[in-house]
Amino acid sequence: MEEKITTRRKVLIGMTSAVGAVGASFAAVPFIASWNPSAKAKAFGGPVKVDVSKMQIGQKIQVAWRKQPIFVIRHSKEALQNLSNVEPKLDDPNSLKIEEPYRDENPTRSTSTEYTVLAGVCTHLGCAPKYYPEMESKPWDESWVGGFFCPCHGSTFDIVGRVFKGVPAPTNLKVPPHYFDGSILTIGEERGTV
Amino acid sequence: MTQESSGFFNWINNRLPIVNTFERHLSKHPVPKKVNFWYMFGALASVVLIIQIISGIWLMFGYENTEEGAFSSIEFIMRDIEYGWIIRYMHTTGASMFFAVVYLHMFRGLLYGSYQKPRELVWIFGMAIYLAMMAEGFLGYVLPYGQMSYWGAQVIISLFGAIPYIGESLEIWIRGDYYISGATISRFFALHVVALPLILIALVFMHLIALHEVGAGNPEGVDIEKHVDEDGVPLDSVPFFPYKVLNALVAIGIFGIVFSVIMFFFPEGGGYMIELANFEEANPLITPEHIAPVWYYSPYYAMLRAVPDKLGGLIVMAAAIAILFVVPWLDRSKAASIRYKGILSKIAMTIFVISWLMLAWLGTVPVTALRTNLSIIGTVIYFAFFLLMPIYTSIEKTKPVPERL
Amino acid sequence: MRKLLLLVFLFICSQEIFAAGGAACGDYGECDTFKPELNNMESLQLGALTFINHCYGCHSLKYSRWGRIAEDLEIPENIFTDNLVFGASVKLGDRMTGSMKPAVSETWFGIAPPDLTLVTRLHGSDWVYTYLRTFYEDSSKPYGVNNMVYPGAAMPNVLASMQGQQILSCKDVPIIASNGGVRRDELGNDVTEEKCGYLKTIEGSGALSVKEFDEVIFNLVNFMTYIGEPSRANRERMGWYVILFFIVFTALSYLLFREYQKDYH
Repeated sequence: MEEKITTRRKVLIGMTSAVGAVGASFAAVPFIASWNPSAKAKAFGGPVKVDVSKMQIGQKIQVAWRKQPIFVIRHSKEALQNLSNVEPKLDDPNSLKIEEPYRDENPTRSTSTEYTVLAGVCTHLGCAPKYYPEMESKPWDESWVGGFFCPCHGSTFDIVGRVFKGVPAPTNLKVPPHYFDGSILTIGEERGTV
Repeated sequence: MTQESSGFFNWINNRLPIVNTFERHLSKHPVPKKVNFWYMFGALASVVLIIQIISGIWLMFGYENTEEGAFSSIEFIMRDIEYGWIIRYMHTTGASMFFAVVYLHMFRGLLYGSYQKPRELVWIFGMAIYLAMMAEGFLGYVLPYGQMSYWGAQVIISLFGAIPYIGESLEIWIRGDYYISGATISRFFALHVVALPLILIALVFMHLIALHEVGAGNPEGVDIEKHVDEDGVPLDSVPFFPYKVLNALVAIGIFGIVFSVIMFFFPEGGGYMIELANFEEANPLITPEHIAPVWYYSPYYAMLRAVPDKLGGLIVMAAAIAILFVVPWLDRSKAASIRYKGILSKIAMTIFVISWLMLAWLGTVPVTALRTNLSIIGTVIYFAFFLLMPIYTSIEKTKPVPERL
Repeated sequence: MRKLLLLVFLFICSQEIFAAGGAACGDYGECDTFKPELNNMESLQLGALTFINHCYGCHSLKYSRWGRIAEDLEIPENIFTDNLVFGASVKLGDRMTGSMKPAVSETWFGIAPPDLTLVTRLHGSDWVYTYLRTFYEDSSKPYGVNNMVYPGAAMPNVLASMQGQQILSCKDVPIIASNGGVRRDELGNDVTEEKCGYLKTIEGSGALSVKEFDEVIFNLVNFMTYIGEPSRANRERMGWYVILFFIVFTALSYLLFREYQKDYH
C-alpha cells in the first residue's frame, strides 16, 4: 500500500484544512471574548460624580474610578500662568504623543479653566505619582517647579500632568473622559453620551 | 526516525522519545483497515473530553462555589460574561454527549466482543472511566445549586445512608454539614474540577496504552496479528495517519452537526439534559414534585426504584455497574463478534437492549404500580443477560470466524 | 422472534404506562401553546413596558440588568430611562432587584413574590401564557380571584382592569361516543350535556377585548421569555452558521476520506 499525493488530494487537503482553520478561529472567539470585563465589571466601572466646589485653591483630591486613582486639582491663577514657563523642560508640552481628549480647550487639559482631571497612573509602569505643588528644591530636582513625582522609578510631571524630559515615563499622564455640570464633576463619560 | 528528519528533532528524540512515541501511538500505529461507524465513538469520546476540559476551565472563571453565590453565578455566566452562554451550553451539552458517546462505545464493545482476550484490561480501564464519569457527572450536576441539583444530591447522598452502622454519619461526613450546603458545594467543586478530571485523564491514558499494546479490534472479530508482513505490521491494517485520521474527521464532522443542533437549538434537551427544576435556586424546605436524574443515570435509577428496600436498592444498583467489569470472563464464546455468535447471543442482546432502553425511560418518569413492575422485569433481564452469558455463549453453535479481514 | 418481541413491547407501551401524571396546566388541562417572537422588537418593548408597570412593583428580575434590556430591545437610552427605569437612583448597569422589600411583601401576600427572571424557563412560556389568562372570580379567595393553572395562587389579577371580569361558566358540550365521534340521537341531533369549568369573560367589563388582552399577554410573555435567556435569539441565529460550517467540513473530509480509502480498498 502506497500513499500517493495527487493534485486532487492536495486540493482536498488544502480546502479541508482551510475550512478547519476558519472553524477553529471562530471557535476561539467566545473563549477570548469571555475574558473581557463582564457586564458586572462594566456596571461597577460606571461614571462617578464629585462636587468640586468645596475644594480650596491649590488643593488636590483623589477620586476612585474603576478602582483607579483620579486626581482632581484646583489651580490658582498664578500656577496656570506659570504653565507656559515650564514648557522648555517638558518632553511633550502639547500632548502630541498621546490621544488628548480635550486638546486646545484649556491650559488645564480638562474641560474646565480651573480644574485639572488626571488619571493617577504613571505612564511608566503604573504606580500612583505623588503631588508636590511647591516650587522648591527637592531631592530629585534642585529646581523643582511643582508637579508630580512618582516614588517607584522617579518619573516627574508638571501640575497638569505633562511629563518632564529625561525621566522613564514615556508620555504625559492621561486625562479621563469627564464633564462639569456647574460644580458637579462627572468622571468616566463625556457630556451627552447618556 | 526517518532520514529526512532534521537534526533538531533527532537531538530531542535521543533525549525524550517524543517522535518514537508519536509514531508508535499515533502516526504509524496500525489499525484494522475495515471497521464500521461503531468504531468511531472512542475517538469522539476523547474529543468530548477535550471540550469538557476546556469549557470547564472557562466556566470556573465565572463560577462561585458558595451557597449564596453558586446559583446566581451561573446566571452571571449566562448573562453578564460575553459569550458565557456558549461556554455553559457547551459544557452541559458536552456532559450529555459524553455519556451518549460512551454508551455507544460500550455497546460496540458488547456487540463485537471487544473485551475478549487479550483486551480484558482495555475493557476494565474503560469501565473504570465510565465509573469515574458517573461520579464526575454527579458532582458537576450539584454545582449550579438549583432545585434539581439539591434534591438529586440529597437522594444520591442518602443512598450512602443505607450502609449499615456507618450510613448516617457517612452522609454527614460527605456533606460536611447537616444539609447540602456551601461546605458540600466547595468540596464537590474541588473534586469535580481537579481530582476526578486527573483520575479520568490517567485512566484514559491507561485505556489507550493498553489498547495500543494489544491492538484495536474489528467488527469481524478477526485477529489481524496472525498475518503480518516482514516488518511485523499486520497485513489487514493501515497506519493511523492519514487513513484513520480522515475517518475520524468525518465522524467529528457529523458529531459536530449533532452537537451544535442540540447546543444551539435544544440546550435543555427537553428537560432531560438541563432539568427545568434547576432554573430555581435550591430550597431545602420544598421538594420539587418529580425528582428524576438526568437521562444518563436513569437505567440505574429505575433499578434502584424497582427494589423495595433501601440497602437492597443500593446493592442492586452497585451490582449492575460492577457486573460490567467481569464481562470478559462471562463470555465463553469462540467468536468475538455478534456476527459469528449463535442465535442465543443474538436474542439475548436484543432483549437486553430493549430492556435497557425501557429502564432508561422508566428512570425518568414518575412511578406507578405498573411501571414499578416493568422496572423489576427490566432489572431481572439486565442481570440475566450477564449472569446467563457463560451458559448461552458456551452451548450455542457459532459460525466459523474468517482468517482475514 | 425479534419482531414478536417488538410487538409485545409496543403493546405494553400503548397501555397506561405512558399516561402523564397530570395535565401541565392544572385544572385548565393542557397549556395553550406559546411561540415566542424574540426578534419582534415592538412586541418585546411593549411587553417590557407591561412588566415594569404591572409586575415589577412586586416581582424582581434580579439576574437581569436594566441596560441590557435597553440594548437588546433597541430602546434609546433616554427614552428607556424616562419611561421604564423604576426609581431615580437606578443606574443602567444595576440589576433589577425589584422595588419591594421582601419582608414587606411577605406581610402583604403571605409569601414573598418570587423573582421572575427564570420563570419562563422553570415552568415554560406556555404555562406562564396560560396562567396569566386564566384568573377567574372566586369570592372565597382573599383577592377575590383564583387561577385555573395554579389554583390557590397568592396573587391578585393585576391586569383585571384590562381583562375585565372573567368567571367560570357552564355550557352544553356534545358527548363523545365510544367510537370517537359525536353521539347522536335517533333523529340525528347531537346529544349534549352540561359541563362546567369554562372560562368566560363578561363582555364590556374590561378596557380591552379578549383578543387585545391576549395580545398584551403575548407581548408580556414574549418579554419574559426573552428575559429568561437574553442570548436566545442570538444563539439560534448563530446555530445555523455553526451547523452550516460542520456540514461543509463533513462534506470535505468525507471526500478526502473517500480519496484516501482508494489506497486500501
